[in-house]
Amino acid sequence: MKKILTILLLFLTVSVFAQTRNITGKVNDSSGNPLPGVTVLVKGSTIGVITDANGNYSLTNVPSNATLVFSFVGMQKQEITVGTQSTISVTMVAEAVGLDEVVVIGYGTVKKSDLTGSVGSASGEKLQERPTTGIAQAIAGRVSGASIVQNSGRPGGETRIRIRGITSISLDNTPLFVVDGVILPTTTTIASNGNVSGLQSGTTPIDYINPNDIASIEVLKDASATAIYGARAANGVVLVTTKRGSKSGAKVSYDTYYSLGVMTRKMDVLNSAEFLMIEEEAYKNAEKFDATGWASGTKYIDPLTKRTDPRLFNPDGTPIYDTDWQDEVTQNAFTQNHQLSITGGGEGGSYGAFLGYQDEQGLMKVSWMKRYSARFVVDTDINKWLKVGGNLSYNNQYERLINFGWVGRNMIEGLPIIPVKYPDGTWANNRDYPGMEGGPNSIQVGEEYENYVKTHTILGNAFANITLAEGLEFRTNIGVSSISQLQDDFSPTGIAFVGANQNGIAHKGSQTFLSWQFENYLTYNKTIADIHSFTAMLGTSWQEDTREAYDVSVWDWSDNFYKTNNLEAGANYRPPTSNKRAETINSYFGRLNYSLMNKYLLTVTGRWDGSSKFGADYRWGFFPSAALAWRVSEEEFLSGSSVISNLKLRTSYGETGNANIPPYLNQQGLLTSYSYVFDGALQNGIGIANSMANTALKWERSIQYDAGVEIGLFKGRIAIEADIYKKEISDMLFNAPVPNTTGFPGGAFQNIGNMENEGLELVLNTVNISNGDLSWETSFNISMNRNKVTALHEDADINQGNVRISVGEPIGNLIGWVNLGTWGEDEVAEAQAANANWTSGDMKLKDIDGDTLITVDDMTVIGNGLPKGYGSLINTIRYKNLELVVDIQFMYGNDMMWLTTRPQRNRQGIANSLAEVLDAWTPDNQDTYIPQWRPTGAGYDNRNTSSMIYDGSFIRGRNLLLAYNFSSDKLRKIDVQKLRVYATVQNFFLITEYPGYDPEASTQGVAFNFGQVNFQQYPRPTVFMVGMNLSF
Amino acid sequence: MIIMKTNIKIKIQALITGVLILFGTSCSDFLEQTDPSYLTAETYFRTIDHAEAVLNSVYAGLRDGLGGAYGGGPWLMTEMATTLADTDLGQAENSYSIRNLANTQDNDYGEAHWSNKYRAIGNANLAIKYIPEVEVSEEDEDLRDKYLAEAKFLRAYYYYELVRMFGGVPIIDEPIDLESEDFLPVRTEVADVYDLIVQDLTEAEATFDAQDLPFNDASGRVSRGAIKTMLSSVYLTMAGYPLQLGTPYYTLAADKAKEVIDEGAYSLFNSYNDLHDPAMKNTGENIFSVQYDAVITANPFQPHLIPYNGNISSYSQQTGAIRANEDFIAAYVPGDLRAEEKQFYYTTFTDKDNRDSTVNCGGHWLWKHFDEAANLGDPQSDLNWNIHRYAEVLLIYAEAANEVSANPGADAYNAVNDIRTRANLADIAGLTKDQFREAVWKEKWFELSFENKTWYDMVRIRKALDVTTGNFVDFIGYHPPYLPAGTALSARELVFPIPYTELQNNPNLEPNEDYAK
Repeated sequence: MKKILTILLLFLTVSVFAQTRNITGKVNDSSGNPLPGVTVLVKGSTIGVITDANGNYSLTNVPSNATLVFSFVGMQKQEITVGTQSTISVTMVAEAVGLDEVVVIGYGTVKKSDLTGSVGSASGEKLQERPTTGIAQAIAGRVSGASIVQNSGRPGGETRIRIRGITSISLDNTPLFVVDGVILPTTTTIASNGNVSGLQSGTTPIDYINPNDIASIEVLKDASATAIYGARAANGVVLVTTKRGSKSGAKVSYDTYYSLGVMTRKMDVLNSAEFLMIEEEAYKNAEKFDATGWASGTKYIDPLTKRTDPRLFNPDGTPIYDTDWQDEVTQNAFTQNHQLSITGGGEGGSYGAFLGYQDEQGLMKVSWMKRYSARFVVDTDINKWLKVGGNLSYNNQYERLINFGWVGRNMIEGLPIIPVKYPDGTWANNRDYPGMEGGPNSIQVGEEYENYVKTHTILGNAFANITLAEGLEFRTNIGVSSISQLQDDFSPTGIAFVGANQNGIAHKGSQTFLSWQFENYLTYNKTIADIHSFTAMLGTSWQEDTREAYDVSVWDWSDNFYKTNNLEAGANYRPPTSNKRAETINSYFGRLNYSLMNKYLLTVTGRWDGSSKFGADYRWGFFPSAALAWRVSEEEFLSGSSVISNLKLRTSYGETGNANIPPYLNQQGLLTSYSYVFDGALQNGIGIANSMANTALKWERSIQYDAGVEIGLFKGRIAIEADIYKKEISDMLFNAPVPNTTGFPGGAFQNIGNMENEGLELVLNTVNISNGDLSWETSFNISMNRNKVTALHEDADINQGNVRISVGEPIGNLIGWVNLGTWGEDEVAEAQAANANWTSGDMKLKDIDGDTLITVDDMTVIGNGLPKGYGSLINTIRYKNLELVVDIQFMYGNDMMWLTTRPQRNRQGIANSLAEVLDAWTPDNQDTYIPQWRPTGAGYDNRNTSSMIYDGSFIRGRNLLLAYNFSSDKLRKIDVQKLRVYATVQNFFLITEYPGYDPEASTQGVAFNFGQVNFQQYPRPTVFMVGMNLSF
Repeated sequence: MIIMKTNIKIKIQALITGVLILFGTSCSDFLEQTDPSYLTAETYFRTIDHAEAVLNSVYAGLRDGLGGAYGGGPWLMTEMATTLADTDLGQAENSYSIRNLANTQDNDYGEAHWSNKYRAIGNANLAIKYIPEVEVSEEDEDLRDKYLAEAKFLRAYYYYELVRMFGGVPIIDEPIDLESEDFLPVRTEVADVYDLIVQDLTEAEATFDAQDLPFNDASGRVSRGAIKTMLSSVYLTMAGYPLQLGTPYYTLAADKAKEVIDEGAYSLFNSYNDLHDPAMKNTGENIFSVQYDAVITANPFQPHLIPYNGNISSYSQQTGAIRANEDFIAAYVPGDLRAEEKQFYYTTFTDKDNRDSTVNCGGHWLWKHFDEAANLGDPQSDLNWNIHRYAEVLLIYAEAANEVSANPGADAYNAVNDIRTRANLADIAGLTKDQFREAVWKEKWFELSFENKTWYDMVRIRKALDVTTGNFVDFIGYHPPYLPAGTALSARELVFPIPYTELQNNPNLEPNEDYAK
């Protein structure tokens, strides 16, 4: 429309003015890229033109006293006096707050200035500063209020997104993802042990979207913004808009990068000499801790007599090897990424084809991931009233996973005195040194255990947009998402603990998630006398998600040749398993946006959702919201202000829901896995399920209040956006334990209690310097959230593993005993009074209940894994064609429970330990928390204590980027539109007191289990990357 | 132009209306979803096959608690409590705290027993509720009744275990849901639990007797012999502590045991090796066992029987979780075959990497449960776990019969002497009633060691075997030699603590005394 108008204006220009000059020029953005579509207007007139695909424009007959105004969405307006110039080229600088920027909201778009809700957004261009494997990692630090934790350094990653704190103690706090209007399916489900499971390695469907395909991401935070997604919006909503074709002509882009991931943090473990020394000393202490065992004369063997194996020891008993298993297990990980896109189009429509390839090596040997992706998008204007379009993407991810339980564990616990292989080429094993715990050789299990996962995802949608009358549009959208995951893993016959007991295990499993969605909605826009402007939207939605899975395992292999390719060659068949589930949602929704004089804005939304997960009486939920905003800067008294360019106050209230629970919980199923053997034949058994049904289960509700202010100062050079919110969650869905006398060890899902989150989010964007050659922009954001449980069933605590949920406390309290060090030599009587097993040199724990005995009643809260705050500070400096980005991430106030310490601090002489055990109790060193060394057989204490709690606060150099944009003049000569080369270092520093691999992780599966890390943590690399963006 | 617009409008409106009507009307069906993978109790339980399947789930509970690796295993609980067992498994705090008389409510073994057995009882309750309702042909009526009887036998077994471990536990005899009255049950009197056990067992016995079913069952199912054996064991326990119902129950116990003996369906094995020979499953001396199969469901407790990382076995896990205290071995009288190498215990085995070389295992490990084939070859054990064997029946009879007569009779002597003969020990004769009682106890301790029997007997008679003197002394006050001076069994150790999480999840549940604050 604008374009037509401009062309029309151009004609007028030609006809009216006669005695003036012609002006040509080129408009670039600050990166030096040509900027098509910029409006160039003669000030005070209707004469103007827009720039072409190469950013060029020409104006004829411009009066020499005229001023040209260059404007473009999201850029600062520029005014240049013509004077005697005939060539006027301009570099447009992005507006810090793009008030005219269009923001995607559910079922529509709105100008940023007209937004009444709290929405964070990030453009694809920003995301490209830090190329990543997954979308979630790409958003990290770009949006306030969204906590993105990269939970694993594994290729392909595993990322946890939490928006405005923890909203649910049920399964999942992952927000709803909507890609081009298609709601991605929920893939998580609950295993019989209560752990959340779904796609392999804890990934979610969003992890399989190619981040290079993103045009923009919007994070809907407050209820006014999210309520349009009603029952599934309690965790927030992330809207992803993918790149589409362009009507301004054909373009080919090629983006590539190469990177090298390097292990930068290692755990400090014992070397050979230390390990052997401790083994000797521990032996000497056996008598103290186990007098009868010692007296038997056979239970404990002097280690000095064991060191005779010539493969491991020199004739004098000293070790031959001093293996660093962390070095052996890790590698420099090489990654390459190639992305090719071809877009084009014209008046009638546009198209785009996007191809991607990524080949990523893991930091841990043999782990890797390859991803092939293809996407095709088309938008066509059939005629004036009908537009149709669609999008089809296919993604094929192929990964080799490692057996983390063993590789991850034995990279720490592997004995330094054992080599990887002996000179004759045979694998060495811990048990080659008598009395050791065993466990497979990390490198052997890494190389010989094969576990491949293939994930195919197809995401497609087709829409038709029909203009029924002026301002009235009908849109119908069909979306399909399919995720199919195949796992092939083979544990060969020869690896102890992995497949040896079963003489080899071949396993093949498949799960397919298929989701379709059909949505229709009407939108009506109307402006009355430039005073009242409103947009009304009404719609309906149907969605079905299904999952089908099967699993086959075959044991006992005569040869390791077959792997998973010929299961019938194995001798012992496990019963295969299969499972199917489906859930449906039907919704009706509506929204009204009303604007009075462009100053007073009102949004009202409502959504009815019906879900098959609940019984008929509890199925439907209504989720309303309302928001008000006042654009104070549009008022007369501020209109002339040179300081305040934008001021908006907004507030909202709304309700959303959560039903991220497995289906069929309202029906009491019968479990089929009770087989028994009679006469050597398997007989099927059917009995009670793991979890108890709850016919009265209903939606979890979240009520959210939000107040926000947006301030733009000095023509947008300083932009502040601040929000405070309160989220009250009621009828929390939780798989609460029930008494075991019921026969249900898996508990029962119940609407168990209430919780609240209060928080503050602040975004500060400043343009510190902006002149022709040099610009410096700073973006700072911080989010603070406080969580508190306000009610539980009968106000009784819920204990799950190391976590306790109590009324008045935040979720995720870590419990254990308070460690006071060790008992001294003068405290033997007290030690034995506390626990008959204890004496001097044993763990000393605090007696909380005052009965001198140390029991479960002395457990207390020893930490909490929720951060008090997190955010990022991003500085972007451009000088001419050079661009420097320094991206710093921080988090503070969260505790880490380093579970690794339990096996690796308390058990000397059977496996390797952390080097901190060197500080163990001795009569000369009684002020320590490390108990006296002893052989494990003499008994030791293995509890969770406060000595395992570390401050998980950190500051991370997330990204350091240096880019060079080749000047477009030179490029044009070789028909190139854009050429940018860059180098980045990601994770370039990390400051933390936490001694493990990375504080930004949690290895425990349960939804509210934060900050607990055991040995199964994939270390995170420092990544050096060079890349190029090219388009022509 | 105007005409065209109108046409479009009409078309579109029709489209929208059509779409909304189409989907708007079908929406109630659209949201009805039932689980395609699992049946519900309401729709199941129709045929004799369904009755069999639910019964199998009750059997499946027998396996629970016998597995485990480096964390130990629940079956070790009642062994560590005898003060006759030792462990080399440093990680197994649960074993240590029981062995050292420092047990607490959060012991995982107790938690597992509680949870496993109530789950099995839950299945039994399903079976007992629904089996009578299945529709059967006339010829299957007996089979249906037999299935019901088997379920009752198994429910009785699980309660018998629970009541002896924990005392007066809640009685759950119906399937439970969130609305059930017994969702948060209270504890009952010990006597009430025994009443349920006796009722279930006698009903099962009546069905089996009425159908004149055989005493033994080679497939591993409940048999008439198994029911009567368990009844004799239950009656014997009821005669002793804590109920102390005395003579009438000794009579009942003796009578039931006598029925089994007189039937002649069982006999002692000639060789102790037959006790852990998979080829002898469900025959000879074996009356009722937990069924395992090397290919389908392998026996899981082998790793516990192997010296800690002793490198003698093809099992990867060699946990050293349980062996005999040396002082207990020393308490066997000289010449007792059972204490000799590789009868009930072993002290040496071959090296895994060189089977010609012998490893000294550093103590007496449990040969009576050791599956030699699995430890030498494919580590998948075919061996069953015995719940009742004939030797126990003989000893129950001897003890009970002695209690109800002035002097031990010939049958009682025969029963004990059969056991002694096999152990290369001389017959006993001419004992007083009191001497005979102790002689039977000793035989029980030495014969049924490490079979999850001894601790129950200790509690039943409130006595402990003093391993230094070889005599029985009072349970309360007995000082096991391996513990520091001043540490002794107390009344607290006559029962295990009600598990911590259960107390947390059920405010109506009272803890066992002395384990609570």
